[in-house]
Amino acid sequence: MAENSIDPEKWVDRYADYLFNYTIVRVNDREVANDIVSETFLAGLNSMKNFKGEATERTWLISILKRKIIDHYRRINSNKGQAEVKMNFPDSENEGEWLEEKVLDPSHRNAEDQMENQELGLAILKCMEQLNEKQARIFKMKTIEGLDTETICNELNISPSNLWVIIHRARTTLAQCLEKNWF
Amino acid sequence: MNLKSLLGLNCDEAATACSKAQYKETSLREKLKLRLHLFFCKPCKEYSKKNQKLSLLIKKAKIQTCSEVEKEAYRQRMNNAGSHASKR
Ligand SMILES: [Zn+2]
Repeated sequence: MAENSIDPEKWVDRYADYLFNYTIVRVNDREVANDIVSETFLAGLNSMKNFKGEATERTWLISILKRKIIDHYRRINSNKGQAEVKMNFPDSENEGEWLEEKVLDPSHRNAEDQMENQELGLAILKCMEQLNEKQARIFKMKTIEGLDTETICNELNISPSNLWVIIHRARTTLAQCLEKNWF
Repeated sequence: MNLKSLLGLNCDEAATACSKAQYKETSLREKLKLRLHLFFCKPCKEYSKKNQKLSLLIKKAKIQTCSEVEKEAYRQRMNNAGSHASKR
């Protein structure tokens, strides 16, 4: 069996948050980010035969995502008729590189801090993939969306003490996962 | 262990209360019991520090995720694309 398998049915559950977070920091627009993420999943579906199993599914999807983000900026630039982009970078390959630098490295417009925070956010989301579905869902509702305990309990039909045990298990896993690089 | 349990919480309960405390949702009673437990129990004290650090990191990261509705829209688009492909 190949080391890394591919399973599109699980993509949204597994990677949507990660890809979304990666994108929104770079495009700053929720609708645009949603478009780019769903285009990435579609492109993944269409090129599944190119998946060699050398990289993990996530790495592979991110490489598609990066191209989509660059495409997005290319479109914006050409819509604005920014000829100077082409003038300075007549060679299409160089243009690509230039865009890549600008787009994929958030540090050009923000402080270094923000880049570290972005990296941290992605590390947390990656660690969240270790949680089971229920833990991940409840942890996300409580911690990232900041929902009331009561709201979550009603929606998922669990007791508060049940919720806290699940949250606690999720936090233990996350702390362990992040400990090596971030504590 | 027994002494600690007598003080109100065993280590499992203390650890769960500690996570609850990260969301500031412990009652006064729970808070006091937890504090007492942490005073006497070094492993739980260590765990509590890690848990606080985790809260700090999460706050710092300002994570933005997509909603269930948005995820459903992704699935929908993938399904549509899939069914078109198979018709051909
Ligand atoms: Zn203890």
